[in-house]
Amino acid sequence: MNARRARRLAGLYPQEWRTRYSEEFQLFLEDHPSDVRTILDVLGSATREHALSFWRLKMDRRRTCLALMFYTCMIAIVAGVNFYWTVDGTSLVAAMKIHPSLFTSWNLVRIGAALFAAVIAAVGIPVSWAMARTALAARRWDVIHRLAVPPCAGLVVLVWLVVGARIAGGHWVPTPWDVAGNWIAPADWPPLSIRWTLGLVSFVLMTIGIIVSVVSFRQAIIRSDWLSLRRIWLNVSAMLLAVSVGVMALGVLMWGWFIERYTVSDFHARNGGFFSSTNFASWIGSLVLLLAATATAVSGTRSAFRAEAE
Amino acid sequence: MFYYVTRSKHDVDDDHDPGRYSDPPLLVLTSLADGPKHGHAMLEDIFRMSGTRLGPGTLYGAIARLERERLIEPLPAEERRQPYRLTPGGVRVLRAKLTTLSGFVRVGLKKLEAR
Repeated sequence: MNARRARRLAGLYPQEWRTRYSEEFQLFLEDHPSDVRTILDVLGSATREHALSFWRLKMDRRRTCLALMFYTCMIAIVAGVNFYWTVDGTSLVAAMKIHPSLFTSWNLVRIGAALFAAVIAAVGIPVSWAMARTALAARRWDVIHRLAVPPCAGLVVLVWLVVGARIAGGHWVPTPWDVAGNWIAPADWPPLSIRWTLGLVSFVLMTIGIIVSVVSFRQAIIRSDWLSLRRIWLNVSAMLLAVSVGVMALGVLMWGWFIERYTVSDFHARNGGFFSSTNFASWIGSLVLLLAATATAVSGTRSAFRAEAE
Repeated sequence: MFYYVTRSKHDVDDDHDPGRYSDPPLLVLTSLADGPKHGHAMLEDIFRMSGTRLGPGTLYGAIARLERERLIEPLPAEERRQPYRLTPGGVRVLRAKLTTLSGFVRVGLKKLEAR
């Protein structure tokens, strides 16, 4: 294998791995044939090292808290979007207008979501901005790049949804929730195969966007020199975030409980679920994600309080 | 998981190769049991011992893991090659693992013979 290719392959590994092994690994690779098996082997190994380094990099408790808050946000957003799209445009909306308990539980989700948005506005945006400003002043481009990934990923998904809607003729947005089900699609929607394809592309883009955002933000937190967030502010916001996702989870749980009692057939129909799944399955997905978000947020709160104790 | 183990063309013909053993960290530890070796020497030794030809990424993945766990350590480089040797901890771990494996093999073979 020539030196250039060996250098490129060694460059695929995480930075801390490269610092220790890059030089000897490059020399080692130069004595190897440049065949597909060798390249695949190195690719697999580099991926594994990246996965390991993701968990191995140690953070202090305040950084851990910030990272856990970010994970909570990502999980809760996915759960909330899934729940909203599952219900939106289905007969379940009509049921909520008839039964006050359903409407109350839906409002509980909305209250949780409003609190969640308030916490993000009060902490998430200022923290990200302060990290970016500090990194810019210190010319830490590695931090800037990583901080830019989540908004860029969101932008890519948004642009895709607009482009996908245009490809589909402007009458259908390619979300994974409006692909197929026990309903007749409007005449101006694209054919089923195109809906599946575009919906799948949206799903893949969203999944990749979430994964790269989580990894990048975590690395940005680890690398950032900025940590001037007041402890009391961190503790309160972590607690409020946990409360907000907890309230959302409770609302979704109650909503599912009541809808099962009032409109069981609509709840188990395939008319709004994720990728043609039943509304029930989609609801379960949101509930599980919100419970996971609550557990993550509680863990973040514990980290914040332990940081204070240390 | 991501361990990618390649076989030599001279290896046994059976594609499933049921006798092949592929636990890269243990293979590396065993290869270093009789003294320090650099990467290429380890690959050849492992192939002779087990019929398994580790890929370069897999080998260095195992080396990195073992060094992190302080079971092996690097020696000064020799002519562009980096030798490694077992640490006392590595010797202990290797002995324990091989003892467990050997007991396991003995019992397994005995059970097979009893069939």
